[in-house]
Amino acid sequence: MQNHPPHLADRFLQFFCAPHLLEEVQGDLHEEFEYQVKRVGVRRARWRYWRDVLGFLQPRYIKRKPSQYPQTYLFSLNMLRNYFKIAVRNLLKHPTFSLINIAGLAMGLVCCMAIGLYVWDEYQYDRAVPQFEHTYRLTERQKQATGLYNVAVTPGPLAPALKNDFPEITETARVGAWSGLLQYEQKTVEPEAMRVVDASFLSFFGFKLLKGNPQTVLSSPDEVVISEAVAERFFGKNWASEPILGKTIQYNQERPLRLTGIVENAPARSHLQYDVLLPFIYFQLNDKWSYNWNSNNYHTYLKIRPNANAAVFAQKLAGQLKKYKEDNETLLLLQPLQDIHLYSDFDFGTDWGKRGNIRYVQIFIAVGLIVLFIALFNFINLSTARATQRAREVGVRKSVGALRSSLVAQFWGESLLMTSLALGVGLALLNLLLPFFSELSGKPMTLPFHEPLFWASMAVVLVLISFLTGLYPAFYLSSFRPVNVLKGIFDKKSGTSFRKTLVVTQFVMSVVLIIGTIGLYQQLQFIQNKKLGFDQEQLLYVRLKGDLREKSLTMKELLVKQGSIASVSATTNTLVDVQNTSYIEWPGKSPKDEVLITQINVDADFLKTTGMKLAAGRNFSSAIASDTSNKFGTYLINETAAKRLGWTTQQALGKKVNFWGLEGEIVGVLRDFHFRPMSVKIEPFIVRFRPKESYFSLLVKTQPGKTEQALADMARIYKQFEPNHPFSYGFVNQDLDRQYAIEQRTGQLLLSFSILAILIACLGLFGLATFTTEQRIKEIGIRKVLGASIANITGLLSKDFIKLVVIANVIAFPLAHYGLSQWLQNFEYRIGIEWWIFVVTAVLAIGTTLATVSFQAIRAALVNPVKSLKSE
Amino acid sequence: MKRTYLGEFEEIVLLAVAVLNGQAYGVLLMHEIIEQTDRSVRLNQVHSALQRLEEKGMVRSEMGEPTNERGGRRKRLFSVTAFGQRTLHEIQEVRASFWQRLTPTLKFSV
Repeated sequence: MQNHPPHLADRFLQFFCAPHLLEEVQGDLHEEFEYQVKRVGVRRARWRYWRDVLGFLQPRYIKRKPSQYPQTYLFSLNMLRNYFKIAVRNLLKHPTFSLINIAGLAMGLVCCMAIGLYVWDEYQYDRAVPQFEHTYRLTERQKQATGLYNVAVTPGPLAPALKNDFPEITETARVGAWSGLLQYEQKTVEPEAMRVVDASFLSFFGFKLLKGNPQTVLSSPDEVVISEAVAERFFGKNWASEPILGKTIQYNQERPLRLTGIVENAPARSHLQYDVLLPFIYFQLNDKWSYNWNSNNYHTYLKIRPNANAAVFAQKLAGQLKKYKEDNETLLLLQPLQDIHLYSDFDFGTDWGKRGNIRYVQIFIAVGLIVLFIALFNFINLSTARATQRAREVGVRKSVGALRSSLVAQFWGESLLMTSLALGVGLALLNLLLPFFSELSGKPMTLPFHEPLFWASMAVVLVLISFLTGLYPAFYLSSFRPVNVLKGIFDKKSGTSFRKTLVVTQFVMSVVLIIGTIGLYQQLQFIQNKKLGFDQEQLLYVRLKGDLREKSLTMKELLVKQGSIASVSATTNTLVDVQNTSYIEWPGKSPKDEVLITQINVDADFLKTTGMKLAAGRNFSSAIASDTSNKFGTYLINETAAKRLGWTTQQALGKKVNFWGLEGEIVGVLRDFHFRPMSVKIEPFIVRFRPKESYFSLLVKTQPGKTEQALADMARIYKQFEPNHPFSYGFVNQDLDRQYAIEQRTGQLLLSFSILAILIACLGLFGLATFTTEQRIKEIGIRKVLGASIANITGLLSKDFIKLVVIANVIAFPLAHYGLSQWLQNFEYRIGIEWWIFVVTAVLAIGTTLATVSFQAIRAALVNPVKSLKSE
Repeated sequence: MKRTYLGEFEEIVLLAVAVLNGQAYGVLLMHEIIEQTDRSVRLNQVHSALQRLEEKGMVRSEMGEPTNERGGRRKRLFSVTAFGQRTLHEIQEVRASFWQRLTPTLKFSV
């Protein structure tokens, strides 16, 4: 161990002890240390030293002696006033730069705040649920022959069984999706989100019951609870003041239900959406098909005790299904409530309600930060580039006694001022643009001015942004040596490579954004224009409800007679995202081999109406008796199915397969067509011809140009069959497009933000170009005098910037390529990333740069050299 | 009789300064006091007492010569002022007069 006092203790003493006392105190301490070393050894002497030093930590020794000379204070009111005055003067002296700085930063902030609002909202889902953090949904991971599938539904009896077996569970609630038609007197409503729920549902999720008894509601089989919106449709605007509880509402014209409650409309920030609630108990008592261990029909939610360990509980739970039903290898998983909105990705359409997508949230966050950083870099670039103009001020301040720390404080204060201005402008701008953003994001957004959290986050943003913008300029400017700057010696090159790096980074980010946007739009175009394998134009569908389903063929006969309608087919689906799947048996199937096949039931006009083509074989025909026989069926399959079952299209003909317990013959093979979104592959598909089962919809092909007429005809005929029910129809191509709504929305957002990014980057470039031309004005004058042409000079000035943008492009291309191809992986059918995207982007980036820079360059080149050279 | 109040520890320090006769400084005083009174004294206490005595005008100080063991730092040497000397005398007189009156009983009890 060293034979001297602990260094740190000494440093500490020097820090706190008043300078006029330090010498004697430290001297005494050292002398004592020497003495103690001899007496008790180095180790203990060092401890003692620490103890002694700390003993001096008293006001008596800390208090400084008043000096007879004035001292430089970091914050004196006069100097603060002076800093402020200088800052304002600087702002006004160079209005262009100030405008560029503030406008650029404001735009970046607007963009960032808008995205912040959006992301914040996405993370606010379900927070109102009581004991939000202890609430989970049970999901299953099913092992099937074709792979692992995650499903969000679980068997009906699971909730009570688990509640019984696990003391950790405090509450459970089951939710199922249902459909049907409600009728009250003459008014019919087809609910969009009819849910089958436990009696605990309302208290479990904290949904408010506006009318009715919360203790008893939904606890007996024949009840119904409707939302405010449905109540308004049934009972008019004044439903609240009318005695409507206890009224009878017909379900599907076959079952009377007693209205026992009005529930608030489903909150916008809830993953659960509902408009009609039916009691679970009815289905438990009557629907043996859905209420058993073999059938997964319900979302099961549970809350666990706050002190229970969720991870341990999840482990105990995982294999639990096996206990209730032997040879059930399916795993049970816990999905925290807070993950449901953003992280739900389940197979077979087993999740229903409103969902966000974490990937798009991440993309938005990235884009917001990119735009913000581009704006920040502008600010830093312009402040440092103009540093030479402030150099004299720094020199003078330093020679009259300014400390470096006070200069740093001054420049930081200036960026605080600028940032405050930008933030103010940004908030005002955001408030103006909010309706536009709301539409773009599909979310009603408001600025939460009344929330303290909002102001707190604004304060954090303000401090953080001004810290970042001021960091480099403050230290760079305050580092000038007064001797040099006052003599006028500058290192003109200093800081340029830093600025260049920032410019390159800005353009790398912009170019990546542009390429991303172009790629995204290309993919969207591709999806929407790709041949689906059927003709979706002029194709309408009519939903059939209740007993209309049995009369579908009669209605079809009437429709076909209309001049406006080309052909009609009765089907069980509208061809948009067909989800109904089951297993198929075929000759030559090995025991372990399972094929899930998607099915549809149609009539003989299906091919004619949809324009699908046969690859082999024949269409169904009502004329052939065996096609519609009860004992034996005929099927069409698609090419993928034929291939999957191991046949060529020709071999498939005549093969006997068994589907849904009905043996049948394959009479034809359809060319592949897309019946799911482009994100998934075309899978095996089977078309059945069972006119005796009910159809759920009619596909209607209208005559070209007669869509209006056809709609009127259809409404008229529908009315004849169903005077009470509303006529509900849709266009197949619109529904197909709607599947990609989230991609379209992302595309629009990305487009607007990349335009903004480019704009801000160009703004910065414009500022830099203005600055450099100002600096080189004499050089330009001399060059002109010596005979340089305008083109020469423009080229000279633009060259530097173009070089940077070219470098940025080179760096950005691989990055963008990687990002884009990652995103495209989500689509089974996707574009290749083509070379022209890069060329277009490069031309665009260089073009805008050239336009921005040459504007200044040409202006400088046009100046009469006499003007620029006459004064020194 | 009105004079500046002197604490017990201050009195001891002042006495020590007087004894050391112009050579008194922090560490030396501390060691002297520890030796004489056999109580644990810390350096900051000695310094505080010296500062208070100086404020009261009972000691005066000047910077001495730097020494090696102090890392080349100078020491502050204290000496007693006339006022300090008088105060010490007064204290002693007060005590002596009390002692004189107390002596017989004390002898008795010992």
